[in-house]
Amino acid sequence: MLTAENLCKAYRRHAVRVPVLNGLDLEVKTGEFLSIVGASGSGKSTLLHLLGTLDAPDSGRILLDGRRIDNLPSRDRDALRNRVFGYIFQFYHLLPELTTLDNVLMPAYIGHSVVGWWKSRSKWRARAVELLTKVGLGHRMHHRPGQLSGGEMQRAAVARALLTSPRVLLADEPTGNLDAATGDEIVRLLRDLNREDGVTIVMVTHNLDIVTATDRVVRMVGGVVTADTGAKKPAPFHAPLLAAV
Amino acid sequence: MYKLLLCVRYLQTRYLAFICIVSVMLGVATLIVVNAVMSGFSTKLKDRLHGVLSDVIVDTDRSDGFEINDTLGKALTPDEVVARIMASPAGPKIAAVTPTIEVFAILQFNFRGQAMTKPVRLIGIDPEGRAAVGGFAEYLVRQHGHARPSFELTPEALKQHELNRQRRERADALQVPNVPDPKPLVPDPAALPEPDDAVMKRDMPVTKLNGAVIGYTIAHFRWRNEQGEVVEEAALKPGDDVTLFTAGGSQIDGGRIRPVFGNFLVTDYLKTEMSEYDQSFVYVPLDVLQRLRTMEGRCTAFQIKLKNYEADKKDVVDALRGIFDPRTGARVATWEEHQGSLLAAIDVERGILNLLLFMIVGVAGFSILAIFTMIVSEKYRDIGILKSLGASNHGVMSIFVCYGLLLGTVGCGLGTALGLTITDNINEIEMFLTRVTGKAVFPRAVYYFKDIPTNVDMVNVAVVNIGAVAVATLFSLLPAWRAARLHPVRALRFE
Repeated sequence: MLTAENLCKAYRRHAVRVPVLNGLDLEVKTGEFLSIVGASGSGKSTLLHLLGTLDAPDSGRILLDGRRIDNLPSRDRDALRNRVFGYIFQFYHLLPELTTLDNVLMPAYIGHSVVGWWKSRSKWRARAVELLTKVGLGHRMHHRPGQLSGGEMQRAAVARALLTSPRVLLADEPTGNLDAATGDEIVRLLRDLNREDGVTIVMVTHNLDIVTATDRVVRMVGGVVTADTGAKKPAPFHAPLLAAV
Repeated sequence: MYKLLLCVRYLQTRYLAFICIVSVMLGVATLIVVNAVMSGFSTKLKDRLHGVLSDVIVDTDRSDGFEINDTLGKALTPDEVVARIMASPAGPKIAAVTPTIEVFAILQFNFRGQAMTKPVRLIGIDPEGRAAVGGFAEYLVRQHGHARPSFELTPEALKQHELNRQRRERADALQVPNVPDPKPLVPDPAALPEPDDAVMKRDMPVTKLNGAVIGYTIAHFRWRNEQGEVVEEAALKPGDDVTLFTAGGSQIDGGRIRPVFGNFLVTDYLKTEMSEYDQSFVYVPLDVLQRLRTMEGRCTAFQIKLKNYEADKKDVVDALRGIFDPRTGARVATWEEHQGSLLAAIDVERGILNLLLFMIVGVAGFSILAIFTMIVSEKYRDIGILKSLGASNHGVMSIFVCYGLLLGTVGCGLGTALGLTITDNINEIEMFLTRVTGKAVFPRAVYYFKDIPTNVDMVNVAVVNIGAVAVATLFSLLPAWRAARLHPVRALRFE
């Protein structure tokens, strides 16, 4: 479904070229819950940004259902981020001025003009309320992010990412800022979404405890994939790889 | 949709935005107040400039006045010229016409025993006719707004005149030397021939007291006392004598112009609150001035009042130019053409002042630029979030441009309200400030106005508002553009 071919990406830091991805290949299958593990600086987050068209590769291609998406005009890439991809970040990244409900509704606000929004507002509101209830925040809809706990904020971020029913959820260390119990809760939530709603999830993490919940684990070192557990397999299959990671 | 939502939310939650609003508000309020006061002064000045001038003026520099002849070559009197004007195509558009004589003169009077002289503009008028043309009776101090003003002296003025006469006589008597002259001063009456009664009567000057209306500033002296207060003293009271020296208008004396003078009694003051007029205008009866200048049956100007000035001025001026041949030195002009340079100066002054004051809004613009740059830096992460959720560069830019527009609009709204409130209560505010500071903000004695004049021009208010909103939006463009160009990944990493 989502394919990365020979991706290269380097950053410039004070005229020094720092390569991050060095010819990475990866294929994400529909309905898969994939986790990407690796040390800091291995290029996990960069890969996630490239997959979600938030950044463009220096070379290589990204394909969605066989169609190249990394070189699309910015308008089309904006539309992809709005409807096809859903992002979840380590630091939740909610807008502090808005209520939880408005934060969750933000992708719909972005995707509609004032008139368009006015016409479909009740549908979107119902969807946002449903999602917030699903993630257990039905009672916190009118609170600002500052009034929520870390776990609650991350659940709100998950609800926001799901609003437009995206095909792929890109989670960048979603538990990185949470305690173990809350982190587990979030991963359980993602796993349920994957199993029940069939959402494809690509999760970057360096927390090895949580990858057991995922279908497939990919390990990255130095900007390339060095190990891949492959297709969906039961937990024991992961054991040797995880030991290696 | 998100653009609108975020700009409104940013406006509600960022206290920094209030600084922008306040700076726009102050700029707009200042512009509105200054413009209203400036326009008030200018309107009042225009009124004053127009004040003593009639709508259309026909005048000539010829010392002996117009020379308009009928078909038989006989010179027409002013009344006949008026009849001819009224019979012309311009006639139906004219409300009133009056002949006048305007000439420069020297005014002399005694003040505390000293002879004072002042250059003045001497105008001979028929008071009723002049009042009908407008711009005369409403500026008289004693006969203010009188429909039929005159040069008649009041009993008080006559009494003052009598007092002056007695005082003069006493002073003259004191100057008679005590030393007796050895020779008799008066010849022996017996040696003189019998007086011829007819000769005596013919040469006896008939005492006629002629009134004169004197500009208020000519008749009053102003100075500052030790306390710094402006003190005003009447140097010429009604009934006081003045002597006017001018040039004779007659050319019968071989074309030579000779000096003439006449005595007049102050009967009223002219107070137009235009210093130029108040310090130089002296009105005397037309017939007296005609006799004094030996130009009976002639005049040097016609003052014309139109029924509808704006609509008819051009037609009337054109028609009058047919009657008054410019080759004979006659000029036909509207009051605006008469005061053209001054009116142009007022407009230029106002334009420059506006330009300078708009810099206040420019300063507000720079504060918006600075504050927006800060807000954009503060919002780096939000910009990254929005872009990750599918917001376009253009959309992010719109948020901040919209924000600038909104700040400008709110600032303008508040500024307009503040400006109009201040303008409405400017005199109360001025009095309050004078009371608090103990120093007059608007010294009424220095200016001629009783109150600070204001005139709110709604077109001007609209222009100021549009300008200020445009400046606010324009100055938000650069930070907005920077926000739009921000790379989403870098923005998301920003802590």
